[in-house]
Amino acid sequence: MIRIEGVSKTFSGPGGPVEALRPVDLTILSGSFTSIIGPSGCGKSTLLRIVAGLETASTGRIANEGEQGRPGFVFQEPVLLPWLTARENVRFPLDTSGVPRAEGDRRTDELLAMIGLSSFAQALPRTLSGGMRQRVAIARALSYDPALLLMDEPFGALDLLTRDRLNDELMAIWTATRKTIVLVTHSVEEAAYLSDTVVVMSARPGAIKRIHTVDLERPRGERTKLDPRFHQLMADLRRDLA
Amino acid sequence: MTSATQALARGFSSLVVLAGAVAVWWGAVILFRIPAFLLPTPDAVFARFVFMAREGQLERHATATLSELGLGFAAGAVAGLLVGWAFDRLPLLGRLFSPLILLLQTAPKIAIAPLLLLWLGLGLGPKVVLIALVSFFPVLTGTVSGLAAVEPGYRDLARLLDLSAAIRFRRVELPFALPSIFAGLRIATTQAVTAAVVGELIGATFGLGYLLSVGQENNDAALVLAAILMLSTLGWAMHEIVRAVETRVLAWR
Repeated sequence: MIRIEGVSKTFSGPGGPVEALRPVDLTILSGSFTSIIGPSGCGKSTLLRIVAGLETASTGRIANEGEQGRPGFVFQEPVLLPWLTARENVRFPLDTSGVPRAEGDRRTDELLAMIGLSSFAQALPRTLSGGMRQRVAIARALSYDPALLLMDEPFGALDLLTRDRLNDELMAIWTATRKTIVLVTHSVEEAAYLSDTVVVMSARPGAIKRIHTVDLERPRGERTKLDPRFHQLMADLRRDLA
Repeated sequence: MTSATQALARGFSSLVVLAGAVAVWWGAVILFRIPAFLLPTPDAVFARFVFMAREGQLERHATATLSELGLGFAAGAVAGLLVGWAFDRLPLLGRLFSPLILLLQTAPKIAIAPLLLLWLGLGLGPKVVLIALVSFFPVLTGTVSGLAAVEPGYRDLARLLDLSAAIRFRRVELPFALPSIFAGLRIATTQAVTAAVVGELIGATFGLGYLLSVGQENNDAALVLAAILMLSTLGWAMHEIVRAVETRVLAWR
């Protein structure tokens, strides 16, 4: 469980301090799938980066109970090392943290199989499609088996079809590993389809506006997308965002 | 297969152009009756070249210039790389020193050759220092701009994975900066050869630049041309070595 208590962020801008995030309180349950949505500039990415330790909070604290260790993080861009093959990219965190070669190879091959890229193991990133690159990035984030996976609009740059497919793959990964996942997204459909909890934020300065608990049954799939409750939830989320 | 034939065709066409240039040179000497002490015929230069090579003279002088080039270029490149890295790691250092660097970079470094000779004598020392100096700046500039171009996402990744400064440099930042560093290295090779010649012209008892000045004093154009031929071969070889290493290292592009 991760308890975010009174976390805020103020940046120093050219015209004085800028409040990016008002004090936020949020509890994320272990093994749950949480989405954070909100308009651009609502501080949702900042909040995620603070949880990841990539930014320091101006106030407040994050109590981490059970999700210790380095979190996995998937950026909007794949951020792959262009001179390494898909396999070497997935193994990179293991290589740089002294995991024995054989162990790293075994883990990497498992992950490549899971994301369906075993036959592209030796491919360089520039020869892969956008969706494939983001799959490699997800596998890399999972390589060191983090308890917490943070994702910052990971599918924002992909076309709709690829995005839908990756949503289903992400849900399968979550079902198989039961990691605690926090996903920042612009898409109400993505948030409603994947999450246990959807956190809606309001803009400038960012603050939590409403928290929705999603009671759609799992496993979810094409049937979920026809469910009136799914459409009701999306309508509610859109209303909250407006 | 096709790339091999293409390379062969390219090599052949450059050979034709080269042969044409030699023919024009030869024709001009005969047609305008140019005296040999001003411009000898290509075969005379070639004969001189072979004679000197057989005597071991050419080897002695070329070896001297080559060792100056090797030492100076290596020292300058390593220093440029290290200082560039330090500037990137400690932005304050970069801000403090970049005006001074800019000043030194725009000053004609060749002009300090007499000073170096005064301080370090007529031996290898002053030439190595001069070559190192002219090689240093392009490599420094290439390193700084290459490291500055590393996208912030990769810095986030390094932070997230808790990479040590050394691993981050070797496995993330350096590979990103390499194309820009190699651009600096290629500029450095040409400037290094010029610096070697200038250093030897001003004061030396050996080296290809020394041969140039001996040729000039003795009205011996064949000697001057033979030395020039050797110098361009050295410069071309250095450039090609850097390019070959670059192609290998940057194969992923």
